[in-house]
Parts: sequence; C-alpha cells; structure tokens
Amino acid sequence: MGPGARRHTDEFTRRNGHAVTLKSPSRALIVIALMASTLHHTARADVQGPYGSMFSFNGFGTVGVVHSSEDKADFTANDFEPNGAGYSRSWSASVDSLIGGQVLATLGSQLSAVVQVITQQNYDDTYTPHLEWANLKYLLTEDFSVRVGRIVIPTFLDSDSREVGYSNPWVRPPTEVYGANPITSVDGFDASYRWRLAGVTNTLQVNYGRNLAFNFAGGSKFDAKYVWGIFDKAEYGPALIRAGYLSSNITLNDATALFDGLRQFGPQGAAIASQYEVVDKSSSILTVAASYDPGRWFVMGEWATSRSQSFLGANTGWYLSGGRRAGPFTPYLTYAQVTQRSNSSAGLSIPGLPADLVPVATALNAGLNDGLNSRPDQYTLSVGVRWDFMKNLDVKLQLDRIDLGAGSAGTLINPQPGFQPGSTVFLFSSVVDFVF
Amino acid sequence: MPPTNLGVWLIIGLVLGLMSSAAMADVVVVVSSNSPIAALSKVQVQDIFLGKTMRFPGGAAAVVIDQAEGSAVRDEFYDKVFGKSAAQIKAYWSKIIFTGRGQPPYSVSNTVEIMKRISANPAAIGYIDRAMINASVKVVY
Repeated sequence: MGPGARRHTDEFTRRNGHAVTLKSPSRALIVIALMASTLHHTARADVQGPYGSMFSFNGFGTVGVVHSSEDKADFTANDFEPNGAGYSRSWSASVDSLIGGQVLATLGSQLSAVVQVITQQNYDDTYTPHLEWANLKYLLTEDFSVRVGRIVIPTFLDSDSREVGYSNPWVRPPTEVYGANPITSVDGFDASYRWRLAGVTNTLQVNYGRNLAFNFAGGSKFDAKYVWGIFDKAEYGPALIRAGYLSSNITLNDATALFDGLRQFGPQGAAIASQYEVVDKSSSILTVAASYDPGRWFVMGEWATSRSQSFLGANTGWYLSGGRRAGPFTPYLTYAQVTQRSNSSAGLSIPGLPADLVPVATALNAGLNDGLNSRPDQYTLSVGVRWDFMKNLDVKLQLDRIDLGAGSAGTLINPQPGFQPGSTVFLFSSVVDFVF
Repeated sequence: MPPTNLGVWLIIGLVLGLMSSAAMADVVVVVSSNSPIAALSKVQVQDIFLGKTMRFPGGAAAVVIDQAEGSAVRDEFYDKVFGKSAAQIKAYWSKIIFTGRGQPPYSVSNTVEIMKRISANPAAIGYIDRAMINASVKVVY
C-alpha cells in the first residue's frame, strides 16, 4: 500500500517494451456483457424466496476515452494499469473502461453471500475478468455484521465504490489521493458496527487480511501481507466525516539489480539493502475525509498520507471538490495535489574503497537516492460536468490541467526519451457510466 | 438599475427562494394510524429512507415502502426532503448495493398499494400525495 507500485509498473512495462500491445478492450467488454446477461437470466430464473428472489443480480460499467496532450508518457487511472493515454495511445479507452457484475444470494435473514466480478485493464495488459469480491456476510444484529472471504479495503471515502462510475460525481476519483493505494480487496475478514447517538450515525469498521500475490510480466513480485485497518465514519444528515488507518507489509522487489549491487559491498551494503529493499516492509496510510451533500450542491475533501520505512518512500495528497446540480447537469470543480516527503540515504561509504569500485559505489548511491526521491509530485485542477441524460445512464466530460512538480513525472508512467519532467499536461476525458 | 432596486429584488428573490424550499408542497410521510410514532424530523426521515437505520427513534422496527421508480410523487419526495434528483438517489443506492451494504427499500406500483400495506402494518412507513390521506394513516412529516 505504498505509493511505490507506480515506479515498479514503469519498470516492468519498460522492460517489456511496447511489443505487449493494447488488446482491444471492446472484445473483453462484449464477453463480460454476454456473461452478465447470462447471469441475469439465471438470477431471474432462480428460486423465489418469501421476500422475492433469493438471488439478485446488479451490474455496472463505464465506457470512456481519454486524450492527453503529453505524447511522451502515459496517464493511467490506477497504479496497476501498464499503459494508458498519451504515449501508448493518443486516445485511450483502457484508462477508465470497465464492466462489473455482482450476484447477491440471501441465505436467510442473517446470512448472505456476494460475488463481484470485474473486467478492466489488468496489470499484465489482459482483460481477464477477476474476482473482486466473494464473501459471506453474517448479521449478528442489524447494525453489527461480519464478513469472511474476499472483501473490499475501505482505505478512502470512496474506496468501496470507486469502480462504480455511476455512483461518483467525477470521471474518476483523484489519483493524487486514491493512487496511494492501488489494492482494492484482500482475503480475510472484517467487522462493522453501527450505532446512533443524538442523531449521529457512527460506523466503525475493522479488517484483516492479505492481498493475493502476483508477478508482474517483468518478473517483479508484488505482495501485501498482514493488511489490517480501522475506519470510522460519522454521519449527520448531509454531513459526513471519516478517518482511517491502514497498515500492511509490502513486498515489491523490482529493483533487485540495485540491491544485489549493494550487497556486493559486504556488511554495510547488506545493511543498506535490507533497510530499503521492499521485502515484507511495513507501510501505512492515514486518511481523513469530510463531505457535505444537501442534494443541490456538494463539497468534499480528503487527505491521505502514506509512510513506509523503505524504498517505497512517503507522500501526502489531498483534494477538495465541489459541484452544483442544475436539472440533469452537475458541473464540478476539483483541486488535487500530491507531494513527496524528501528522503535520502548516505549510501555506501566511499572513502577506503579500492579505486576501481568507487564509480560502482557512486552509481549505486545515486540509484538509491533517485529511487528514494521518485515519488509523484503533481497539482491538478479539474473541471467537468455530469449529465444524467437517461435513466441509469450518465455522461461525463472532464478537463484536467496537471502541473508536474519540478523534476517529477507525477503519476505519469512510461516516460520516453524527450519527456520533460515538471511540465504541464492537459487531459480530456469523456465517459458513459451505467448500472443495470 | 440603481443599487437600491437591486437590493430590493435580491431580498424578494431570497424570500421566494426560502419559501419554496421550506414548504413541503404535496407529499407527506405517513405511518399506520395504529403506529405509536407521532412525528419525525427531516434527518430522521432521511436516515430511515436511506437505510441508515432500520428503526424509528423509539427503537421500533421500521419497514420502508417506496413509490415506483419514475413516478411523480417519488421524484417530488426525494427532491423536497433530500434535495436530490431521481438519478442522485439511484447513484446513492448504486453505492450501497455495490459495496454490499444493503438493498434499496421495497417499492410498490402505486399509492393505493402503499395505503393498503401501511394500514395493515404498524411498522410500515411511506409517503403519499396529501390528497390521498384517509383515517387509516397519519402524517408524521
């Protein structure tokens, strides 16, 4: 749950080159749409319980394209997408497009089961549907529930519905904050307890689990173990405040050449490698959010800071967003930024090394410090509009001005020769969201 | 336009605006006349209809019966009490459904059906056009 996945994704796509071409997302969308309609049919045909069908099926999706003014690097919506708009595609459909289906089975008054499948661009550039959730929920009381299985990690205010474009005001949640944790679900359990005091509804949630480990195509391994978190939300009418803390042990061993190099330098090199190499390293995110939504307008903001005692580094991001409803149109404005907290290491001690090893040690020290300071730094102003033009369908248009911090590629990936860090990038996004 | 005139028009506009948002024109929230509930606040109505609580303030179970999607009375209710359009309410329930946190209230096809269910169940709560009120129900908001 570090902010580091981006760099590693860069690494693996660079190694793969662009021979790994974009597969057409449309084919995958058609496949899952067919699957969804089959499921829908099955669900309809199922057993009728006393309160209607025992099974219910719901689906959601987004079809959209993004254009970037920067053609020497890619914009992506999340850290696991290997390519996106800009360099790989002038107009990219892979950034925001996805389709998901969910089946809920009600197994009596206290027990239910849910399965959610999503297809979108995966870390390995395929569109193979993945099992996002599969869990059993047991209600101890109507306000106290436990879930076991594959469950969402509610890191941020909008984490648990970030994929459901129709439920959100924007084209996508600000990447400056949501990019701090690309992991959306874990295998484990959670418990949620809700109570009311003086009209305020308070919901406390705790969870524990582990992410499924996987290997990037370039050979880097990703794993998150001992993921635990505590989240509390208080709501009064249209007002909401929320705070959360998430901790995990991350493995993301992409920079093995650097750390293997350091380990050649005896005990001091080994000590540096074990301090910074992202193998089972403790990492955490602290978040605070607030929103006010009386209906005709809304304002919301969120702040997140991540910390890691490793090569993953640390950063802080926040956004503030507001909009106003005018009939079927909801224009909105968002400001978001993410800045890294500087980090450096003295590295290998050069004095006393044999002359032929000095250039190697100097290069390793430079590589180490580059890595420690490669967290995204960027500032984004977004203006957009949501248009509810038909039942269960919306259209959104959004223009982003992204100012990259000095010397930073921001959250862009796949930088090509000639790419200018610290430049200004304009993005145009247009999506259709639907639920069914 | 001289500034004083502008001020007068602003005040008139403001007063009209407040009047229109304060008045709850035609839609009323009702429970069975056998229910012990006498009145609910706006926030209590919102919490019950948005599924944030399954109970009335005193602790008794509440069963929400919604009007049909697309009906005029439904659109007016959510606009007046929640300030939200039908699409916003749909977006809210999408969030709840797709996070596995609940299901929207049961909805029936018309007001006659709602009246039948509410009068038969002291736990039921719904909303109807004020013109449809009869002795079997009472207005709580």
